[in-house]
Amino acid sequence: MTSIEVSNLQKTFQTKRKAAGLSGSIRSLFKPEYSSVEAVRSLSFQMEAGELLGFIGPNGAGKSTTIKMLTGILHPTSGEAKVLGFTPWIDRQKLAYQIGTVFGQRPQLWYHLPAMDTFILFGKIYELDDRETKKRIDYLTEAFEIKDLLDVPVRKLSLGQRMRCEVATSLLHRPKLLLLDEPSIGLDVVAKQHIRDAIKRMNQEEGVGVLLTSHDAGDLEALCKRVIIVNHGQIVYEDRVSNLKRKFLTTKMVEVRYAEEVSKDYAINGVEILKVGNYGVKLKFDTTKTPVDFVMFNLSSVGDIVDITISDPPLEEVIAKIYKEVENSSLMDNPRSRKSIGTM
Amino acid sequence: MKELKFLIAIWKTNLQSAMEYRGAFLTQVIGMIANNFIYFAIWIIFFNRFKDVRGWGINDMYVTFGVLASAFGLVSLLFGNAFTLSDIIAKGRLDYYLSLPRPVLLHTVASRTIASGMGDFIYGFISYGMSGYFTWDGLARFVLAMLLAATVFAAFLILTQSLAFWFGMMTNFSNLVLNAMLTFGIYPITLFDSYAKLILFTIIPAALMGAIPAEFIRAFTWTTLGQLLLGAIGFLSLAIFIFNTGLRRYESGSAIQIEV
Repeated sequence: MTSIEVSNLQKTFQTKRKAAGLSGSIRSLFKPEYSSVEAVRSLSFQMEAGELLGFIGPNGAGKSTTIKMLTGILHPTSGEAKVLGFTPWIDRQKLAYQIGTVFGQRPQLWYHLPAMDTFILFGKIYELDDRETKKRIDYLTEAFEIKDLLDVPVRKLSLGQRMRCEVATSLLHRPKLLLLDEPSIGLDVVAKQHIRDAIKRMNQEEGVGVLLTSHDAGDLEALCKRVIIVNHGQIVYEDRVSNLKRKFLTTKMVEVRYAEEVSKDYAINGVEILKVGNYGVKLKFDTTKTPVDFVMFNLSSVGDIVDITISDPPLEEVIAKIYKEVENSSLMDNPRSRKSIGTM
Repeated sequence: MKELKFLIAIWKTNLQSAMEYRGAFLTQVIGMIANNFIYFAIWIIFFNRFKDVRGWGINDMYVTFGVLASAFGLVSLLFGNAFTLSDIIAKGRLDYYLSLPRPVLLHTVASRTIASGMGDFIYGFISYGMSGYFTWDGLARFVLAMLLAATVFAAFLILTQSLAFWFGMMTNFSNLVLNAMLTFGIYPITLFDSYAKLILFTIIPAALMGAIPAEFIRAFTWTTLGQLLLGAIGFLSLAIFIFNTGLRRYESGSAIQIEV
């Protein structure tokens, strides 16, 4: 079953342009100039019910604008979208009962009150009866490990603690779909892990679908099965996260420790030596150009290996590489670019 | 009924939030009552000197200022965000209200309590009590007139502040018309000729917030009640229409917001 269906969605903003300085301001006062900015261009995609979908892209790529159209906050310039069967900007109120939203940069918890008061208020907003609200709060409190935080004014919570409460609030009414706009922004590693674990649990236990925008590749790796990469308002890559890794994680990093001292002019054909120490070497190579067994054979021929670590580069690097290739590619304005880049 | 339950819940939360800082809350309430007494002293001095202005005396001023203060206080208490709506629109802070399943306008304006409004609200009743017009019937009319005046006032605020959908930041303009509304609202209506009165019923509906409610409180007439009802319904409908029309133009924003 499809939970989100987007077809040729487009959003254009009118932006005022003004030359620098006072004279520019005066000119703009009498003759304002506007230009159009296409935040989202002919966006089309689908999301299945209960799916964990990552929606990523650099700043200004159109991620937040898309989420805002999918929640009914913004009206599109053109195009169509159905979220859980509703057209968001027409059936905004009906849809809001079925979805939960978290905007990492826009808190929904009441700042001066304990989170518990916001939970109770949200229970009224979503028309839950008091007993049901209490039961749900108990469940979410346990799932998000926030029992000790509920009675503390939100202003006294750390960002990580607050974010856990934010996400829990958005799940109070048992939404079928959760739209998360950069929920891990500014969080430390432990706080991110907490949030990811809780979201994963809600997906497994309640089948909540999650559409997640993030700058953090870790969110993607830990949570999402499928990823859509957008840039300049267009989809430039769409595939399963596992395929993304397979296609782009072709570089291997290797760290080797030898029993004997290593020569300073250590070299293997087709391998980039990153560091040579007294007993160890750090190197990287592209598996599509240099076979793994060739590298392993050469490594072992140098001396007795005491320890070896082989790792993939962080997913972040892969995504940065995709952004870069897209930026450099003239395919950007070609609607078929999504396929072309997908097979890079 | 559904929306009333929701409103009560949100007002309760507002009150809890305002009372979180007990000292500041009490200071604002008591400070505002004192402020109004000091402000009204100028009218006492004025009417000591001139006794009456075209049939309008100090007692009429007590009633007019009373109903205006209570109406202003009620809007501050229950619909505090009506005063900053243009700012909310221009800075893209409607996102929060749009993502929840409630009427956006009602939810937005009801989501803030200005604690000093409690001072204005209480002061209005004291002022009416001191007017010399006090009767129990009059008190019932005071409450009804105050509710209708508050509706006109809130609607007028929403109407002017919603222009932010078209013109961006309207805070200064809104403050300007707010001051005009309050200033003309407490002036004796007998001062104005028919053209000025027309303006005070329409463009700046100050007469519907001060003079007409005061007239209705002093003595019941169907005409004044009709004027108040028509004004309240008319301005409220217009405000809702303008806001909803503007909402289609809402452009959100990317400013980082750190508190609600």
